[in-house]
Amino acid sequence: MAILNGKHVIIIGDRDGVPGPAIEECAKTAGAEIAYSSTECFV
Amino acid sequence: MDLENQKRVLNISEEFGAENVVVLLGASEAEAAGLAAETVTNGDPTWAGPLAGVQLGLTVYHICEDEIKSEVDAGVYDEQVGMMEMVMDVPAIHEEMENIRSQYCKYL
Amino acid sequence: MNGYPVVKGAAYTLAATPSMVIYNGTTQTTERVVNPSSEYLVELPKHLRSYEDVISYIPNQVYIGNAHYDDLANTEFPYYDKKWEGAKEDGKFGCIMPEDEFYGVMHICDVFELVMLENSFAEQVKEKLAKREMFTEEQLESILKNNADQAELERLVKDEHSEGLYIDQTHLVGVVKRAHDVDVNLSAHVMLENLVSKASNVISLIELKKKNNFDPASVEYVIDCCEEACGDMNQRGGGNFAKAAAEIAGYPNATGSDVRGFCAGPAHAMLHAAALVKAGTFKNVVVTAGGCTAKLGMNGKDHVKKGLPILEDCIAGFSVLVSADDGVHPQIRTDIVGRHTISTGSAPQKVIGSLVGDPLKAAGLKITEIDKYAPELQNPDITKPAGAGDVPEANYKMIAALAVMSKDLDRSEIANFVQKHGMPGWAPTQGHIPSGVPYLGPLMDDCMSGKVQKAMIIGKGSLFLGRMTNLFDGVSFVVQANDGTVGGKSAAKKEVKVCKTANYYGTKIAFASEGSEHGQDNIDLAVELAAKKGIEAIVSEGETAHKEMEAALNDGTAQAAVTMHYPFPIGVSTVGKVITPARGKAMYIANTTGTSDTDRVSALVKNAIAGIIAAKADGVEHPTVGIANIDGARACEKALKKLKDNGFDITFAESARADGGVEMRGNDLLLGTADVMVMDSLTGNLMMKMFSSYTTGGQYEAMGYGYGPGIGEGYDKLIMIVSRASGAPVIAGAMEYAANLVANDWKKIADETYAAAHAAGLDDILKASAPAKAAEAEEEEEDVPMPAKEVVTAAIPGIEVMDIDNAVKALWKAGIYAEGGMGCTGPIVQISEANKDKAVEILTKAGYIG
Repeated sequence: MAILNGKHVIIIGDRDGVPGPAIEECAKTAGAEIAYSSTECFV
Repeated sequence: MDLENQKRVLNISEEFGAENVVVLLGASEAEAAGLAAETVTNGDPTWAGPLAGVQLGLTVYHICEDEIKSEVDAGVYDEQVGMMEMVMDVPAIHEEMENIRSQYCKYL
Repeated sequence: MNGYPVVKGAAYTLAATPSMVIYNGTTQTTERVVNPSSEYLVELPKHLRSYEDVISYIPNQVYIGNAHYDDLANTEFPYYDKKWEGAKEDGKFGCIMPEDEFYGVMHICDVFELVMLENSFAEQVKEKLAKREMFTEEQLESILKNNADQAELERLVKDEHSEGLYIDQTHLVGVVKRAHDVDVNLSAHVMLENLVSKASNVISLIELKKKNNFDPASVEYVIDCCEEACGDMNQRGGGNFAKAAAEIAGYPNATGSDVRGFCAGPAHAMLHAAALVKAGTFKNVVVTAGGCTAKLGMNGKDHVKKGLPILEDCIAGFSVLVSADDGVHPQIRTDIVGRHTISTGSAPQKVIGSLVGDPLKAAGLKITEIDKYAPELQNPDITKPAGAGDVPEANYKMIAALAVMSKDLDRSEIANFVQKHGMPGWAPTQGHIPSGVPYLGPLMDDCMSGKVQKAMIIGKGSLFLGRMTNLFDGVSFVVQANDGTVGGKSAAKKEVKVCKTANYYGTKIAFASEGSEHGQDNIDLAVELAAKKGIEAIVSEGETAHKEMEAALNDGTAQAAVTMHYPFPIGVSTVGKVITPARGKAMYIANTTGTSDTDRVSALVKNAIAGIIAAKADGVEHPTVGIANIDGARACEKALKKLKDNGFDITFAESARADGGVEMRGNDLLLGTADVMVMDSLTGNLMMKMFSSYTTGGQYEAMGYGYGPGIGEGYDKLIMIVSRASGAPVIAGAMEYAANLVANDWKKIADETYAAAHAAGLDDILKASAPAKAAEAEEEEEDVPMPAKEVVTAAIPGIEVMDIDNAVKALWKAGIYAEGGMGCTGPIVQISEANKDKAVEILTKAGYIG
């Protein structure tokens, strides 16, 4: 069963890892609904 | 995890039902990914935010894990994440995420 | 192409503020709101470092310029449990200041009676700050005004919304009052944050003046690039921290403005400054920023949890002077600029592509052609325990990955690339502070020493934190070593009139002026001083300087040359001339650069002969010879005495010390007991620098005649060496020394002296003093025929001086024509360009180079 398809996805990206908007682009192609997306910054 | 982000996770889980929510992470290191994953499953380990003591048990993955990568369009993945995948220690991240999921996820 | 703005000076400063970690860092203030009884708040004070520990922390010593980033690279990670040997609170680029003095600076910076200190504390702080020689008497006096007693301070915190200033974690020594009863933008919290930013900015601006040689009145514009905002409720980000700080720091003719861009702010500000200078709007622009209280202890929870000290305990500041091209300092390539644009997106490869790949491609440069990249130089000691990884290293890996994708680099070379083109991070996590700019100070040294030709500064900013956009941001630019040509042509020079009645009128000297550490003015002055003696200097600059100099010597345009470095062949070394301090007497130091022989004793003997030649040719009829009391002196004395017994004209000096003798002690050096002081060229080089610069504190060689002519048997060109640190008087002195040698027909004296030495049995005497080597040389010579001679323009450094001859032979064996020589940093083997790669391979295989 697909993990992302049809699910409400919360994205916690990382400024020095993979940022939120980049993960969003990926999740959309898997049929996910983006419920919330943000990017954390440790520095 | 940022307090505002914790608040949003809590609200969205209540709105759509925890079983319908998936959290995707982009942390650069296994340890940071593990902490974020623990926060959305077993509650905020630093006891600072709205998720302190809240065991949502959400399904949580890192964007670099194969389970997620296999569901994403390969071209888009490569364009958005390909380079970071080269830089990050993906096996370590996966191991840490598996560890958290096996302990705390309720909807696998 | 040239005329780019230069990075002319840089300052980096820290204020150790452990108590502010507790009271003002947002991690701690937030914790006090949401979880006031947390274990973290109880544990935190035990993890705060002492001032001594802040000073000896290696990344801090790198930041202020006492340690090098290579020292950090050679330090085993983690850094927090190591100490820098010889750590000081004052460094090449700036200082570290303790908390109490920093509060004093805040008081000086406050012009609205908002900062109040406890009366006796203010007295103490004033005394301490006075010793730093940073502030005017009037500014120091101002610390004593508008203060209060302890009870009043406590009342202000309790009843008047004032923010407390503490030392030793709990001891209240001052307050910052609110500047308005209602306006939140003028609340005590905001005023403290802004005054801290201003004070740390002021400290850096003052250090910029102190540590770099420029007139602060020449600065026309100052750009602040911190992450704070100042203004009241009607203009929350009204701004101009820049002008406010420059006022206190003493830049009377500057105006300024603020540039903001989160962590990328400094890189943006550098572009603004460079553009203003390139356009000719201003000649001198300073980019500057103070630090922030908010980020103190930002990752403290992780540090405490892991038993580390709180490493984010300093308020940082930096200032950089950007000026019009001076032909010396590294240049900002205003035409190689990377931009993260609105449409770039946030995918890491897009970000790094826009900042690194795209601008380099547009400039026709490969990613591997940039010697050093300076992305955000966050200290991994701080970020790694917090789970944020090693930020600079991740950036280097991404740049390497980009180079692999663009086929500039083989995949297997990624680790190598990170090592070679990267640096460990040493900057405190103060947001904008690590943003590439901490490298600008070390970069000036790297460019001027020739270690780095091109570097890239990369700033990145998390705009999304302001909740105005989801966009990321960043800009980058290339900085390159200055080729000294100033605007693509020789800078317009004052007409220099050569004095026709002076002694040396008619002497022409080719002068390769590139590489000087003291700028174009110093070169111009040297030429003027020489002209007064009747000497005409033919100056050549830039990459072709040496070719032009050699051409002038070869075609007879010039009778001699002066240069800052030259690859003499083995057998040729230089005889310096200094003025000794005790009697103001001239003394020849034989020798000062180059290698007269690879055997130590033979070298000393040949140095003595070269010294006699130089002294005689300079007009000393019967120069006395002394041998510095160093390893090999006795054997040298024996050989020289044998030469004298065999009829060679040599007069020995007698030590001024009671026990006399030919061996010269340190006292004799200062006295100038001997006309010619014989020593090996490394010792001689050291002596030259000391005799030339001891009156100036070391950086500027102000006295004497420089490192002298290259003298060796059959060597027929008169090439004089000065150093990059030689001041105008020494350069002009070298020209005068050369002119005298020319006037006295030095070549004839050299030929006669060498002939006399051979007649007195020099060869046998040397063989006897170094028999093993002579035998070995003979054997080698028999075995290996010399390949056909060809022009050698490529050089391979890094070979031990003793191995040079054998390395040359090893290449001959392989059919490659090679010559040994001395480069400016040590011995080299010279070969043709075509043979270079193969030669390197052979020498590496044979173990001559690493």
